[in-house]
Amino acid sequence: MNEIDPKMHRSALRHVHDQWLDSHRSELASTWKPSFETSSGIPVKPVYSPVDLEEKGWSYESDCGFPGDRPWTRGFSPGGYRQHLWEIEMYAGFGSAEDANKRYRYLIEHGSTGGVSIALDLPTQIGLDSDHPLARDEVGQIGVALTSLQDVEQIFDGIPLDRAGHVFTTANCIGPVAVAWFLALVERRDAKTSDFVLQVQNDPIKEYIARGTQFVPIEAAVKLSTDAVQYVAQEVPNWLPISISGSHMKQAGATTAQEAEFTICNGIAYIESCLAKGMRIDDFGHQIELHFCTEMDFFEEVAKYRAVRKVWTNLVRTRFGGTTERAERFRLHAATSGRPLTAQQPLNNISRITLQALAQILGGCEQTRTASFDEALGIPTELAARTSIRINQIIAHETGVPHTVDPLGGSYYVEWLTKEFERRIYETIEKTDALGGAVAAAKTGWFQRQLANGAYREQCRVESGEQVVVGVNAFKVDEPPPSQVFEVDPEAAERQIAKVQALRANRDQRAADAALARLREDCASGANVMPATLGAVKAFATIGEIGQVWREVFGEYQPQAERF
Amino acid sequence: MVITKVGLDGHDRGVKVIAQALRDAGMEVIYAGLRRTPDEIAEMVLQEDADVLGLSILSGAVVPLTRKVIAALRARELDDVLVVVGGIVTTEARQELQDMGVEGIYGPGASLTDIVEFVHANVPQLRAV
Repeated sequence: MNEIDPKMHRSALRHVHDQWLDSHRSELASTWKPSFETSSGIPVKPVYSPVDLEEKGWSYESDCGFPGDRPWTRGFSPGGYRQHLWEIEMYAGFGSAEDANKRYRYLIEHGSTGGVSIALDLPTQIGLDSDHPLARDEVGQIGVALTSLQDVEQIFDGIPLDRAGHVFTTANCIGPVAVAWFLALVERRDAKTSDFVLQVQNDPIKEYIARGTQFVPIEAAVKLSTDAVQYVAQEVPNWLPISISGSHMKQAGATTAQEAEFTICNGIAYIESCLAKGMRIDDFGHQIELHFCTEMDFFEEVAKYRAVRKVWTNLVRTRFGGTTERAERFRLHAATSGRPLTAQQPLNNISRITLQALAQILGGCEQTRTASFDEALGIPTELAARTSIRINQIIAHETGVPHTVDPLGGSYYVEWLTKEFERRIYETIEKTDALGGAVAAAKTGWFQRQLANGAYREQCRVESGEQVVVGVNAFKVDEPPPSQVFEVDPEAAERQIAKVQALRANRDQRAADAALARLREDCASGANVMPATLGAVKAFATIGEIGQVWREVFGEYQPQAERF
Repeated sequence: MVITKVGLDGHDRGVKVIAQALRDAGMEVIYAGLRRTPDEIAEMVLQEDADVLGLSILSGAVVPLTRKVIAALRARELDDVLVVVGGIVTTEARQELQDMGVEGIYGPGASLTDIVEFVHANVPQLRAV
């Protein structure tokens, strides 16, 4: 029954497919859930076949291709993980620079290969010194406090820069300062910029949409960010000066599809802003990074990464005027998401992290960050962080997953979903263009409203039990409160504050004042802020002092009240 | 009702989820926006003639921040405004908040239904006093 001749014409296959549906209607209707859909609300059929790909107009040559070939769906490298395993990155940071330094050394010692990945505390991210009155309760809490070049030097104490490999940091609205810190660090260490790859997130647009560390008006933030991109493109061709990020929008309520859509729309805004400065994508396309987070809908995540590679590289050619393959080879960076991790039965999170890590690896990401099983409770303990490194090593060495490139390529479902993601991304680009681009859309709250609606919908589904979260609204147990929760040293904030005050008292004040005066002039004249920011950093001007110059020249971000 | 974040933290997913739940329960809700000071918050409560103020505080400084906001309300003679606090609240902090007269305190895992019911049940009582 229903035997398929491989040479059968497609319409004949469709006939067999329809017959199959017909003959199994009652079995197919008998399901344990009323309907099946992806986390982005895409309806999922019981089975996918060449019929579905035909409907999408899919072809192997134009939609998939071979690894290392356009359209890059199967990855940028011909040999995939046979050539290079993904880099294992562990994001960390808390307390003062000395506290964070100890953790980075621990992670490197235990097999983290993705470099030093620095979480910053809120005051640093908002351009406030640790001793600012609004800062005190937050110093070192959710990341390390970096107030000046002195702190940056301390976090790398005992870590050779060429051993660090990659250095990543979530500097967004302070992107130019982070770039300047590392340029200055290289100089003071008598090292070379080619010793390591700096990756600065430097993506302020999504701060206004989702994450909330903005402190100047959005247009000024985009100018500051693209100044850093322009400077790095000219001066340090191996650094990655921007990592356009979807993960925070997703954690604020975007679906996986929206994460891909909105990130690419924000990316267009940055690239077009760079092109307007006279830059050429051929010169810096390879320095762009796109960053996403991986949650629990396994196949959707795999499809997302494949679709993003295809769409972005196409935009480089058709929209940004790229003429080289190098310009298309952006860096794809993925992180497992802390959001699906639960405080209840925290060991269950090891399986969640494993599945997320596997999805992003099967999606062909070159660098993957892995969360830790106790993240819903606080900053990861050393045991939890080490276990996450081991998850990557088990996938790499025990499963055979890296042995062939893009092993899910050709799966009817994954290819269909990849096409569907591609379609949705282009559709949202069109809508965003019609609103005047991502910056204009963010200013009207267009993205923000969609995220808030998504978060509310999900909360309602979880509370009604429609969406099962194991250990939270189903399969619950009575358990004692967790015993091993990491706590930031309560004295770290005081140490940090004392250090900042000592720095101000002991530095060459005239040099710091002169450097800040030059920064003010350059900001006011519209010049690229990077040279003067570098001068200020080297004169040990603090993040708060530099941020204050920006606030005074560009204006301060004004929060908007919102009516529901 | 005015609902707001206090402190530097910018993650407003939770506060917006609660705003929508209260809206669907028939309340008029204004989210004040990020990084508001206690005085700005109290001023907004006054201007909007709000019956309820919801504070979302995810940093560790729940008690001092709530105390400052309540003082700013008192300074404007807004003593009958119902204050509800959401965030990470330890057992000791809960006691201190209750001593300040805050009864609606919600941590991770609190249900939208409970929060909406609490607000509904407590607003009319206050009005009647």
